[in-house]
Amino acid sequence: MPVRVLESSTPSQVSGANSGQTSFQACTLLGAGQAFSGTQNVSSLQKDEAWRVNVRIQGCDLEHGYLCGTMEALNVPMADTPVVTFWEGEIVDAKNYTFFTGKWEATPDDDIRHWTKFSSFSPLQAQVEADGGKSLDLSNYPHIFMRWKEQYFVNVGTDCGLTIAGFYYVCFSCIDGSISGFYYDPNSSPFQKLELKSTNEGRLGFSFSSYELQ
Amino acid sequence: MPTTSASSITTPPLSSTTSDPILDRLASSDCEIKLKSIREVKNKIIGNRTKKLSYIKLGTVPVVASVLAEADANSDSGANLIVQSAAVLGSFACGVDAGVRAVLDTGVLPRLFNLLSAADEKVVDATARSLRMIYQSKLAPKCDFFLEKNREFLLSLLKNENENLTVLGASIVIHSCETSEEQNILCYAGVLEKIIGLLDGSLSQRDACLESLATILKNNPEAVSKFMAHHGGRALNSIIELTKDRYSRTRLLACLCLICVKNSSSCHLQDLGIKTKLVYILLELLDDPGQVGDEASLAFSSLIAEKEDLHKLAFEANAIDKFYCHLQKSSSNPRRLEGIFLALGDLCSKLECCRSRFLTLQVLSLVVDALVHDNADVRKAACICLRNSSRSIKNLSAGHFMNESIVIPLVQLLSDLSISVQVAALGALSNIVAGITPRKSVFIQCGGIKGLVQSTKSMDSSLRLNAVWALRNMVFHAEKTCTEAVFMELTASSIANLIHDPESSVQEQTLALVRNFVDGLIDFVEYAFAEDGIIFDAVVRRLRESSKAEIRIQGIYVLCNIASGNEFHKEAVMHQLFPEAEDGSDSFFNQCLQSNDSRLSTAAVWVIVNLTNPTSPGAFGRVVKLRNFGIVSRIKKMVNDPCMDVKLRARMALDQIPIGES
Repeated sequence: MPVRVLESSTPSQVSGANSGQTSFQACTLLGAGQAFSGTQNVSSLQKDEAWRVNVRIQGCDLEHGYLCGTMEALNVPMADTPVVTFWEGEIVDAKNYTFFTGKWEATPDDDIRHWTKFSSFSPLQAQVEADGGKSLDLSNYPHIFMRWKEQYFVNVGTDCGLTIAGFYYVCFSCIDGSISGFYYDPNSSPFQKLELKSTNEGRLGFSFSSYELQ
Repeated sequence: MPTTSASSITTPPLSSTTSDPILDRLASSDCEIKLKSIREVKNKIIGNRTKKLSYIKLGTVPVVASVLAEADANSDSGANLIVQSAAVLGSFACGVDAGVRAVLDTGVLPRLFNLLSAADEKVVDATARSLRMIYQSKLAPKCDFFLEKNREFLLSLLKNENENLTVLGASIVIHSCETSEEQNILCYAGVLEKIIGLLDGSLSQRDACLESLATILKNNPEAVSKFMAHHGGRALNSIIELTKDRYSRTRLLACLCLICVKNSSSCHLQDLGIKTKLVYILLELLDDPGQVGDEASLAFSSLIAEKEDLHKLAFEANAIDKFYCHLQKSSSNPRRLEGIFLALGDLCSKLECCRSRFLTLQVLSLVVDALVHDNADVRKAACICLRNSSRSIKNLSAGHFMNESIVIPLVQLLSDLSISVQVAALGALSNIVAGITPRKSVFIQCGGIKGLVQSTKSMDSSLRLNAVWALRNMVFHAEKTCTEAVFMELTASSIANLIHDPESSVQEQTLALVRNFVDGLIDFVEYAFAEDGIIFDAVVRRLRESSKAEIRIQGIYVLCNIASGNEFHKEAVMHQLFPEAEDGSDSFFNQCLQSNDSRLSTAAVWVIVNLTNPTSPGAFGRVVKLRNFGIVSRIKKMVNDPCMDVKLRARMALDQIPIGES
């Protein structure tokens, strides 16, 4: 199983990007340190199964449409411990990345098929099908669309029997910090769903920390 | 004369115990013997640093200066003495600081300048060459260009037909012109025209022209505009041609000149063609084994610094590989090493692809080796390179930097004799400990926390700032043992003091550090209340006293995080934000809620979201109080804020307020 994508994660750049487009506004619930927990449905024809999943955002660079984090899968049958992976995300902002993936064996049809599974994508669908969503102003939209691609296993070897060949289509709600996603891998069961909620980790409210690289 | 003093020549008496008989003969009254002795000294010291130092110790320089001063330039014998003495003095000054000092101490400079107007061409040439040697040194006195007579003298040198004089004029510009005021006054005095005229001259004149032009234009858009307006096209084309010259030094100086124009202009030399050319020429010049190769990397840095498009160009030209190759060749030249590390640092400053290539090639190990170099500039450049290459949360998370071989030497540099090296080491460490990096215990075991905390107590504000910054990054989502270790070493009272540091940047980083301390497990909120709550009190006081947005943002988030705790914590925040005795209309918290900075108003709304969290028993009472203070009606207005985050948080808060209260 490939541990990480060996080619560089070249962005699905908008050619002739509109440099005058409004830059993305931050959403405090999608910042470094924020944690989410929920489940990943890994059902196949043979069985129904769901893993508990914890996600933590580790870095967020809105200007470049980039974020990254870790994903911890609990109660994985073939693993003795929770399995942690490091992932990188592309934020669909019509500046750095569009709704069309352009790599990872995902065709435009695959893209539309997945994005339409998010109800919050409906108002945008017509424009995306017409021009790829280039003229959309997503900066004020209360949902953020992303692709998350796991890059490597943090705490297990590549012989753990798991694959990270695919990627997730992700929709984040700025309203309540909930996340839903669909895993895409031509060699895996389709539409395996990821559902996460923002977690307060035992607190009676929301807490935010920060770091800054020099 | 462009010298600042005209002291008389000082000649200490020759000791009767001089060990070299040549020096005895120098004291002879016979001109022929004196001349022969001076020639002998000249032949012994030329190209021989050891001999130069030895003769300087023997007191030779003042004697020779005295010979030059007393000789009659209008006589043949006097002229010969002057020519040879000038050559000796120039040789002493050439590349030897002690020699320059010795020459300057004799007070012979004014005499040398006087002799530039001698009738005898050989005297003029010898004197000019001697002065050129002196003006290659940083120790030479600066020429005051604000004096008209000095500018006139300079112009007279530059327009002279004698090559030695024109080059001397350019050398004086190179040495003395530093500030923008000096650059401008030279532009307006017509010096630019004269210098540009040297472009068509000999090799020495061309090189001197290029170097002095760069000196006048560097970082000065006004000077560049004037240059381009009056001379631009033709001169620029000539300089571009010189980037292809067969002499490497000329190519380098031409590149430097073009870089000065490019960096100070938004419209000249901005096309892809010239940028590409400059990148490739400078990379090729790295192969020069001498000073040109040393300077090429520094020129490369000044070309690409802060310019992402040039980083991309350089990456595509395999710049990282080329610099790595040069690093691998065993070169002990500190200047070359420093230049290479700074260039690699610049290349890694913005683009992930460059940092990836840097790590793939394993340049890291060579940079780490340089952390213990004898030369402070090399150590500093290596730290800067480390800092920039670690500016990647992806690579930090993969654990590429958190290992003993890197951390131990960096922690040791926190006690370096040079403050600037300490600051650079702190910069690198603040990245390496950042994020949710694995194995921070490595850093703790290496004594890293002690080192950082020690730096927070420094008298130097840059050290305090960078140390607190590193601690902040370290505590971000750190394991409990790590957070506890930092808190115990730093102490609550120390943190409270840093919140009130004289420097606002230190205050800001300390508040961000506290914000991280009180995040994570709910127990961590107690950190703010250690030692009778001095940290909590200090945070509130800072919020009341400072109106700076950055400070308020961090401070409000501290309160937000505390307010996500238990009842005691929430009530503590309520008590400070909404004291009974005040009506709160112009409170600092209201100011934050109403701020035009959406980051601050969002943070303030999060405090309200936490205070009104319905799962908390005292929520209802707090809602009533907030309504009485006008906060609820303030929040209602915020649901129409143009900033989406503010809007959504306001709605979130209102959703938590019971119907009838909102």
